Amino acid sequence: MTTALMIILAGAVMLILAAFMGHVLGWASKTFHVETDPRIEQVNLALPGANCGGCGYVGCLEYAEAVVAASEAVDKCTVGGASVAKEIADILGVAVGQSWPFRPAVHCGANFASRLKRSDYRGEKTCASANIVSGIQGCTYGCTGLGDCERSCRFDAIHVVDGLSTVDYEKCVGCGACAKVCPRNIISMVPFKAERMLVVACANQDFGREVKNVCKVGCLGCKACARASDLFSFKDGNIPIIDYDKYDPSAMEGAEVALAKCPMKRLMMIGKPTDKDLEAVADRKKPKVVTADFKTTVDDTEWLG
Amino acid sequence: MTLASELVLIAVGAAVINNFVLHYFVGICPFIGVSRRVDMAFGMGCAVTFVISVAALLSWTFTFYILRPGAPLTSWAVRSVTGKADATLDLSILNYIVYIFVIASSVQLVEMYVRKFFPRLYKSFGVFLPLITTNCAILFACLEIMKHVSVGAGGGAWGAGGGAAWGLAQAMTLAIAGGLGFTIAIVIMAGIREELDHCDLPEALKGPGITLLIAGILALAFMGFSGVDKTLSGLMGGAQ
Repeated sequence: MTTALMIILAGAVMLILAAFMGHVLGWASKTFHVETDPRIEQVNLALPGANCGGCGYVGCLEYAEAVVAASEAVDKCTVGGASVAKEIADILGVAVGQSWPFRPAVHCGANFASRLKRSDYRGEKTCASANIVSGIQGCTYGCTGLGDCERSCRFDAIHVVDGLSTVDYEKCVGCGACAKVCPRNIISMVPFKAERMLVVACANQDFGREVKNVCKVGCLGCKACARASDLFSFKDGNIPIIDYDKYDPSAMEGAEVALAKCPMKRLMMIGKPTDKDLEAVADRKKPKVVTADFKTTVDDTEWLG
Repeated sequence: MTLASELVLIAVGAAVINNFVLHYFVGICPFIGVSRRVDMAFGMGCAVTFVISVAALLSWTFTFYILRPGAPLTSWAVRSVTGKADATLDLSILNYIVYIFVIASSVQLVEMYVRKFFPRLYKSFGVFLPLITTNCAILFACLEIMKHVSVGAGGGAWGAGGGAAWGLAQAMTLAIAGGLGFTIAIVIMAGIREELDHCDLPEALKGPGITLLIAGILALAFMGFSGVDKTLSGLMGGAQ
């Protein structure tokens, strides 16, 4: 009798409680209702969710809100590229403008062996610290090789190879973190109008002998490229600047001449390697990738990183 | 001991001496998770204080009138069914589920409220706002109240009965002071962590490591408050 009564009473208590709370919450959800645009959620789902900040917003959700509410351009997502831009455009019912993927270009081409007057720097191993000290190497414009860009990259796409930052364009998504972090501003974001782009792989603003004193491969400022093509201009200092607005991958005759004329070979094609490049490194051994066997408790795999 | 001095002792005890976070180590997840910025931490403290208060109000009401052994409503129901004048029933098996229910509902309420009126705060809370649902600090407050309500006779509805059992006044004091103590702890922590951003930390200690170390040192510092309650009760002329 008591047990039965207890079960009934317990059930009744829970029912009353549920009815009471349900009533309060129902009232609250009506009173505190927030109108949200369902398109924000849709756009957010279409975005990659990397939260890299490449678009200029804090995260993907902030960009989604800006796209929907403040009519921000739909092609700002560098990670997603054209496909995501099209998806967002479909959701919002707008047309995508012409857009190019931006990828970083390192404006320095000197590895450790080419850089002269290097001192034995024993300070903190970051470019930001090394850049404050004078005389860690002769060239005050070029790469210090301490890898701030490598640490800033969330996609493992830029590495210091023999003292020079080198972009892995297969992995790069173009978020621009490396360009922001470089204290010497030698990484710039270049609109990739073709799979391979022409860049100036030097940032030294000095002329002739002064460059020769500090670097074996630096641009001397001879202006041969500017004579060959109007793509190059010398606005300030002795370094050519490529006008990427004028850059047209289908009309590269002038640029080809400049490429051949450059005495220091500082004009370079970057991006996807050509067949010729692949052939040149074909004899090199690729590291063997060992996959760990998680069935065994003892992990005897080698580290080949 | 008068009701007023009892309330003061409960409040001081819950807020500093037996601080929920730094003495009982409950509510650690928001304490670590939302203590990055002082304004966020303060918002979290307010949210937790509010939820504790609502949960304490509701759980005290349910415990006192329905769930505890010999609760008036239950006794009345049992007596009217069985016809025996002294029949009574103990529904305290329902304690935990009722508390969880009450806490979850009040968190829902807070979430809707914050979302409507403080959208920025709502965004910075992220997942930690719904996580208050499973925040042990709040269940801890409810259980502490249950412990004191279920001790037996005495303790009128407003706590002035003079018995051993707690009334609503004591329960609410514990809840609000406990929430205040949580706010104090999390704001102190956030202040320290803001300064920590400018420090040159060893790589191995960055993030959770140094945070937990600081939490430990803070807890040690709060141990210094123990004994304050004895002095206070002496000052107020009561016998502890």
